[in-house]
Amino acid sequence: MNEVTPVVEVRGLRVRFGEVEAVAGVDLKAYPGYSTALLGRNGAGKSTTMRVLAGVVPPTEGEVRVNGIDVRRDPLAIKHRVGYCPDVGGLVPRATPWEHLQLAGRIRRIPNWESRARELLERFELGAVAHRVTTGFSHGMGRRLSVVLAALHEPDVLLLDEPFDGVDPIGVEATLDVIADARARGACVLVSTHLRELAVEACSSVTVLRGGSRVATLTARDMAGEEGARAYRALLD
Amino acid sequence: MPTGLSSTELPRVLAAERRAIADVGHLLRFRASTLPRQRIVLLAGLFVVVTLGAAVVPAYLPGAGRPGPGHARDALTLLPTALAGFQLLSLIAGVASGGGRELVPREQLVAYPISPTTDHFGALLQAPLNAAWLVQVWALLGVASFGLGPDRVLPGAVGVLLWIGVATARAQAAAWAVEGVRRLRHGIVAVRLVAVLFALLAAWLQLTGRLAPLLDHLPTRWFVVGLVAGFSGRWAVTLLVEAAMLAAATTVGAIAAHLTARLAARQEYDAESAPHPGRPTPRSDRAMLIRIDRASVWRSVPVRRGLLVLSVGPGVVALAGALTWSQLILLPGLVASGGALLFAVNGWCLDGRGGLWRASLPVDPGVVFTARAWVCAEFLAVAALITLAVGCLRAGLPDARELTAVTAAFVVVLVQVVSAAMRWSQTRPYPVDLRSARATPAPPLAMIGYSGRLALGTTITSLIFSVLARVGPPEVTVPVAVAMGLWSWLRLRRTGEEWRDDRVRARVVTAF
Repeated sequence: MNEVTPVVEVRGLRVRFGEVEAVAGVDLKAYPGYSTALLGRNGAGKSTTMRVLAGVVPPTEGEVRVNGIDVRRDPLAIKHRVGYCPDVGGLVPRATPWEHLQLAGRIRRIPNWESRARELLERFELGAVAHRVTTGFSHGMGRRLSVVLAALHEPDVLLLDEPFDGVDPIGVEATLDVIADARARGACVLVSTHLRELAVEACSSVTVLRGGSRVATLTARDMAGEEGARAYRALLD
Repeated sequence: MPTGLSSTELPRVLAAERRAIADVGHLLRFRASTLPRQRIVLLAGLFVVVTLGAAVVPAYLPGAGRPGPGHARDALTLLPTALAGFQLLSLIAGVASGGGRELVPREQLVAYPISPTTDHFGALLQAPLNAAWLVQVWALLGVASFGLGPDRVLPGAVGVLLWIGVATARAQAAAWAVEGVRRLRHGIVAVRLVAVLFALLAAWLQLTGRLAPLLDHLPTRWFVVGLVAGFSGRWAVTLLVEAAMLAAATTVGAIAAHLTARLAARQEYDAESAPHPGRPTPRSDRAMLIRIDRASVWRSVPVRRGLLVLSVGPGVVALAGALTWSQLILLPGLVASGGALLFAVNGWCLDGRGGLWRASLPVDPGVVFTARAWVCAEFLAVAALITLAVGCLRAGLPDARELTAVTAAFVVVLVQVVSAAMRWSQTRPYPVDLRSARATPAPPLAMIGYSGRLALGTTITSLIFSVLARVGPPEVTVPVAVAMGLWSWLRLRRTGEEWRDDRVRARVVTAF
């Protein structure tokens, strides 16, 4: 894996919001065709790291490159290459799923986005609510739609922040399929989650964050089963 | 079928109500804890000083309280109508906001056993946190003070303050009742029908010349007679009646709040479940963004409801009062200011938590800013145009001077309000979703600040153009409009430039 050029390269990332340091020196590399899980407790800096990679939050310090592009210099170019599912909500309350997809299709200049959108909506069982505003959606429905929006344009880098949170088994399966498809076409996938078991199932490697810093990077196999649970627990304490 | 409370139920209900009232204190403390203490003390001090000033200073002005014909008597003659007007406006405000403000947003309290009584008292206590309410209260106190003079100012002020309490509590009770009806099957249609009938009745009274005699015989005269008497038996009876009405209205309001809380918010649920079939993709990014932003505005129940009240209400008043074009000039500023308070002062809240996802789309931030400002502007323009269209029906055709002044005032206040709203939206984003009919885009204290600043700015602008409509030729009006509009435009542009900064956008989108 080390001979392949990483798609995502993070060195010494720090993000401060006033007095609070949300990320305190994260180093990370992620490769095409592989999926990496970001695991850690609440406040470990997973979501903020994802937001930086999506070009939504600028880094305070450190170097962040996606496809070789510096996130600080050209966030717009990065946004073209990234598909991002935010950790909370991520949906415009009074717009319908179809309008969300139409907005993404238009702005990302996706040719024939409609057929891909329909296919994804059906896969995530959202076809029946495609023209209803998202305010009335359950948490799980919202999560599923956020994954659809992130995957619509088949990005080089797929960033999924808590994609399994509150999602039913069919949604989890569909999300795992999206991750597998992305890997198969050579995309780099980053999944932030609290759910170790699903992280192991979805990803090839796991990076554990604690207190805004990376504490370990292991293979998914190392984090599997009872042994993996004990190892994870030890890394969190 | 139960017909009343049994002797064992009554103590339980009373205990529950006592607890509900105590909860108001807990929620108020919770709410206050999120605000800087110094700011609360400053605002409370300012409120007390201005209220005392409004209640006392006019009593010592020349001619105040003088018996016989004069301005003092005119003030007392107008007072019954002013008291009734306050009641009417409080009622409209309460009904339009679906039962008044929430002390703490509904979604934050969903896991707690908060009684509708708590909600009712919370809304009542927040009624003064509204610039329109405050201005009316100060005006009422001032008129009464001037009419009664220094000898009777104290009993008069006490009586007027109690009336304000009565009117606010009655409006709150009526607001719950109307909200309850709205939530019944066909309730929305029924409420709209009744509103139209009231408007038609008012128009008929005005057109047949019956309105003025009606205003001369309003029941509020009885209260004013009690206040004019000074410290006396009649005054004491007036106060007792007011206190009884206040207690009754507060209790009825609590009962209405309980009954309403048992019904589903039909209009909000209908808005959330209505299908919106897809339309062809627009040809430009800007058009697509405008479409999404427009949907966010017009699909919001409190925004739609607010627009209707805000635009039609002043228009009907202008129509009834047969305002001239130079007077109509004041309306676009008033309506645009009110319209901005429906959502535009916290314009980025339209995206809610979807702002994070939208920020990840590869689009020029300048286009996003322009689309949002455009949607704010068109919303305010629609509101102001409705008001002008209704209000000008009896004003005749404007001459060139009036037409230029109205157009100039319309454009300038629009740019002024959009500029201020976009600036505040960027500086202070508040996490609100505008889902509930009672939602406001910012906390009450912030709303008072916004409304005061908007009202002051737009009123001054409107007054300038009102004067120009009477005395200024178009050759003067147009350059004045260009200069004033340009100033606001440049400030709007500067806000747009700041929006291009990644850190500014990140702070806004992560606030929701």
